[in-house]
Amino acid sequence: MSSKIDFDEILGKYKSDPYNYVDVLAVHTGRVEFKVVDGDDVQAPSGEWQQIPGTRLYEINRERNPKLISAQINGTVMDIRTELDGQFVEAGEKLMTIRHPLKKKEIIEAILKEVLYLFPAPETAKYFFALDIQSRIEKKGAREITIDNGDEILTMSLMKRDTPVYYKGERGVIHSVYFKPGVSVPQGEPLIGVCAPDKLPLIQKIITRVKADWDAE
Amino acid sequence: MTQNCPTRTLLAETLQQELPLRQATHPHLDCEVTFRYGGFVGSVIECHAELPRAMDHARSHIARIEGESGSVPNGMVILADTMSRSKGRFTRSWHAPAGGVWGCLVHANTLLDLSKRFVPLAVGVACCEAVHAVGGDKATLRWVNDVLFGEKKVAGFLVEGFSGPRYSDEYHMVGFGINVNNRTFPEELSGSATSLVHELGREFDLTRFTTLFLAKLAWNFGLLYYEEATYLENGSYSGQDGMHQLLANWRNLSDTIGQRVVFGFDVMTSPQYEATVIGVDPDGGLRLRFDDGAVVVEHSGEIRYR
Repeated sequence: MSSKIDFDEILGKYKSDPYNYVDVLAVHTGRVEFKVVDGDDVQAPSGEWQQIPGTRLYEINRERNPKLISAQINGTVMDIRTELDGQFVEAGEKLMTIRHPLKKKEIIEAILKEVLYLFPAPETAKYFFALDIQSRIEKKGAREITIDNGDEILTMSLMKRDTPVYYKGERGVIHSVYFKPGVSVPQGEPLIGVCAPDKLPLIQKIITRVKADWDAE
Repeated sequence: MTQNCPTRTLLAETLQQELPLRQATHPHLDCEVTFRYGGFVGSVIECHAELPRAMDHARSHIARIEGESGSVPNGMVILADTMSRSKGRFTRSWHAPAGGVWGCLVHANTLLDLSKRFVPLAVGVACCEAVHAVGGDKATLRWVNDVLFGEKKVAGFLVEGFSGPRYSDEYHMVGFGINVNNRTFPEELSGSATSLVHELGREFDLTRFTTLFLAKLAWNFGLLYYEEATYLENGSYSGQDGMHQLLANWRNLSDTIGQRVVFGFDVMTSPQYEATVIGVDPDGGLRLRFDDGAVVVEHSGEIRYR
């Protein structure tokens, strides 16, 4: 993690374009049929358990097995590949982009993700802190907990198979926790953001600066 | 002197008896190959009169063997007549007095991710099949792998991953607790636990029952490898419509689909919601429908029937 951060550059970037651009890809090979057009507003999944699907984006049909794919994030549809409508596409083909407007909290998280060490989920599963770490967090708070390479920090739970997860990365404190107990985390998504202890003041400075700059708007 | 002490010889005899039974029920599979895949189960069987906890014993054993530059036998089974510190998931206690089958299987994992997720199903199916084989054909499976008579649990399982401290080999500790001849339970479990002796009205030869369970375990672990190989070769599994055969067998033994349930990651202390089970996905995920018609698929957590 670099200790030299150009605040003006980072903040300028988010101020000039406060959006996240999320590409929507074909989930597998098949014939696609779009359900939205450029400029449509789309909604993310909702409901207490995220059980209400997001806006339907496209249907993909492979061997008479149609599947409706919904938006996972809210925003506006752009750059839709209309030439692919009704055509057979390969898995991973880009179909459209969703322009997602960032909230202040998301901007802070996005900046932090650029400066923290992000420890990713090894498999799509539910995660919870190892008992020892959990009890230390309850006593002191996550940001007082220093973890080292090789420490058992989490338990991964999938189909009632619980597997310890060992931290791989530089020594640091648990600054950000990106998972919630009981909520599944996709493989590769960050579970925690770790910061070297001496860099904590710098992180705090980032948060304060973003809050101040956005509040001043 | 231990009460529950299966041997390799007994297990080999039981496996011989299992082969024609499986050939009759699974004519579309190469059952000899499946049993060969699962042949590691019970490669070593350790029987103890008393242990604090079999999984802890297994971990210490792995650490010691690796510390001596040795190799831990895949399929080692550790049994104890009684356990003083057995536990269920989270912080739940598990009562393990004399008369039950308590222990764990050490599985040196070589399965791909797509197959690993079925390990907890394999041990549940194996136990339910063993219970059926001794006359308990009313036993059912509740997702993921609880074996029940009615709403009472006769067996429970824990699968915990473990990395060898020296070589970082990946193991599954497959813990099992089956109430067989034990008749009494602590007050907090009396409404939710039962045993074979209570349900079927007779005592069982513990060693023979455990051997039968291990033979069923060998078949079901064999299926994990057989189906993985089948999938890699053909792009689909051997069951009807390309379903994983283990999952197909699980469905035949389970009464979960159609039940009104409470779901929670830790359903005892933190129940999350109520819904109706409408199916099980090809990857074992539980498909639930809310009253408003919305559907979710859960891959982790547990349920209790309403």
